[in-house]
Amino acid sequence: MLGDIITPDLFASALRMATPLALAAIGGTICERSGVVNIALEGIMLTGAFAGAAVTLATGNPWVGVLAAVLAGVAIAAVHAFASINLRADQVVSGTGINIFALGLTGFLMERLYGHPGTTDPVKMIRPLISLPKTPEGLFGEVLRWLEVIFLSHTPIVYAAVLIAVVAQWALYRTRWGLRLRSLGEHPKAADTVGISVYRGRWAAVLMSGALAGLAGANLVIEQVGSFTENMTNGRGFIALAANIFGRWTPAGSYLASLLFGFADALQIKLQMLRGQIDIPPQFFLMLPYVLTVIVLAGVIGRAVAPAAVGQPYEKG
Amino acid sequence: MNTKWSRFLAVALALTLLVAFVPGCAKKTTDEGTTGGKTEEPKTTVKAAMVTDVGGLGDKSFNDLSYEGLKRAEKELGVEIKVLESKEITDYESNIDQLANAGYSPIFAVGFLMTDTVSKMSTQYPDTMFGGVDEFFDPVPSNVVGLTFKEHEGSYLAGVVAGLATKEKALSDKINDKNVIGFVGGMDVPLIKKFEAGFIAGAKSVNPDVQVISLYAGNFTDQAKGKELGYSLIEKGADVIYAAAGAVGLGTIEACKEKGALFIGVDADQYLTVPNSGDVMLTSMMKRVDVAVFETVKAAVDGTFPGGTIKEFGLKEGGVGLAPFHDFENKVPQSIKDAVEKAKKGIIDGTIKVPDKL
Repeated sequence: MLGDIITPDLFASALRMATPLALAAIGGTICERSGVVNIALEGIMLTGAFAGAAVTLATGNPWVGVLAAVLAGVAIAAVHAFASINLRADQVVSGTGINIFALGLTGFLMERLYGHPGTTDPVKMIRPLISLPKTPEGLFGEVLRWLEVIFLSHTPIVYAAVLIAVVAQWALYRTRWGLRLRSLGEHPKAADTVGISVYRGRWAAVLMSGALAGLAGANLVIEQVGSFTENMTNGRGFIALAANIFGRWTPAGSYLASLLFGFADALQIKLQMLRGQIDIPPQFFLMLPYVLTVIVLAGVIGRAVAPAAVGQPYEKG
Repeated sequence: MNTKWSRFLAVALALTLLVAFVPGCAKKTTDEGTTGGKTEEPKTTVKAAMVTDVGGLGDKSFNDLSYEGLKRAEKELGVEIKVLESKEITDYESNIDQLANAGYSPIFAVGFLMTDTVSKMSTQYPDTMFGGVDEFFDPVPSNVVGLTFKEHEGSYLAGVVAGLATKEKALSDKINDKNVIGFVGGMDVPLIKKFEAGFIAGAKSVNPDVQVISLYAGNFTDQAKGKELGYSLIEKGADVIYAAAGAVGLGTIEACKEKGALFIGVDADQYLTVPNSGDVMLTSMMKRVDVAVFETVKAAVDGTFPGGTIKEFGLKEGGVGLAPFHDFENKVPQSIKDAVEKAKKGIIDGTIKVPDKL
């Protein structure tokens, strides 16, 4: 019975499902560390996914599609940056607006470009980096097979997400740039008085979060699914926000929290295999990842302290 | 209703009548003027419309199929048609409201999620006819007809194919000897259970030892989830997978293509609607929503709209059935085709009773 649940694909699946969450969550972390709340991650991810699909369909080159997804993410994030930094709009309102806008925009553009809403034609996908070799028989071969499936079966952006988490963690806590960025989220006035440009720093952070959420969209479309469907992000941007908080506003924490959410989702799929053997309705399993989110946010991990100035527009004066 | 509103309504109705009437007259005179009368005169004043579910047009599934039925009615019956799409569940009511106000009747609401909205709107617009695709009412309002399908009957046939195919090595190199097949469901609701129950019964009827693994996605839109479900089934040895899960199934097809398993589509002939799926698409269980919608519009035109009833379209009525095997046509052995025919006959003449729940 346990063999049905604990399989190499369980862990590989967790990594796959964690990747879009983690990319968006790290984007959220960088953004909020600079003092700007970004609940537009969902909308940015969706826009990135659409741009990735559209450009891959047009050019036939998935890598150009990935680039387009990132750029589209940056473009949408620029709207959020302008509204919340320059116009000092309420950041939650601006983010919500973008989420609704992205849903409408992608649906509208689909209708315009392809003549129908719903799902696009399949796009050329980016395949896993390595095609797994056959493993030898016996215990050694079995162990090898597990390691291969868990660590070597993935597509490039899955590995890129791990790398991005490490680099972002280092950059935020071990570089001058990171210190300055964090100072914007804690006490922008102090940062301003020592000559750090609050506007420029926050703009950079918001655009970076756009690029990462766009990349998350590219991962969904070009590496995982192979076509764009309206609203295909299915709330991942919001789970990413939770992962950012659970990860205590650190890139590495965000990644690990996403991994936990991804694992919960992967686990619920495998647990469904037990239906018939134990009498538990599948709805119970389906809610696991969300229950986990609630429990985590309710503070099981202890109080998470947000950047002091997050959500507050800065007025130079 | 206050007087301001009723006055507005009266004016609006009068205008609608005028607008509807004037071009009708104009056309007649021009038609008489021209020699051949190439433009065909509409035979009816019935205006039929539909409201899609959140999947929307382009779902390559029952929203598109309902639209096919409407388009056929437009062509063959001269009915004026209109489609409004729902982006969110909260759009259902305003969409129906808009159409009813514009004088459309019958209005088709596509998808069981709209059941409650239809019940509510049918009392608000007692003179409008409603068709609820995939919707079951108890009791049925007198101006509503529920269009349901015996999905379990079609799924039984899909199960017969899958149960035999998983033992048919010659069919494809994707077939293994584990005797396991898979089912992917969208939401765990009675409607989807009908598919699952019929599929399992069909498979066990020809292959009693077969293991059927069923997994649910919890929604009808998350393709990435559908792919993960497919991976999990294939890892457990499933070599034929049947999905009744809307767009989620598209992700499962992707998993089948990548990891090597055969797929049985649903609702439409997915060989035709999903590009590049030919090498895994064994067949599809078709729900002829188009037939149901067309027949209902036709009834409305003829003045025999079956309001207050639930119409069930099964194998006998041509409401469900299997799509052709397409690329597998020559590889599928005659024994499987015979078994399908036998099951079909048995269901139609009543000797085979297909369960509609687990």
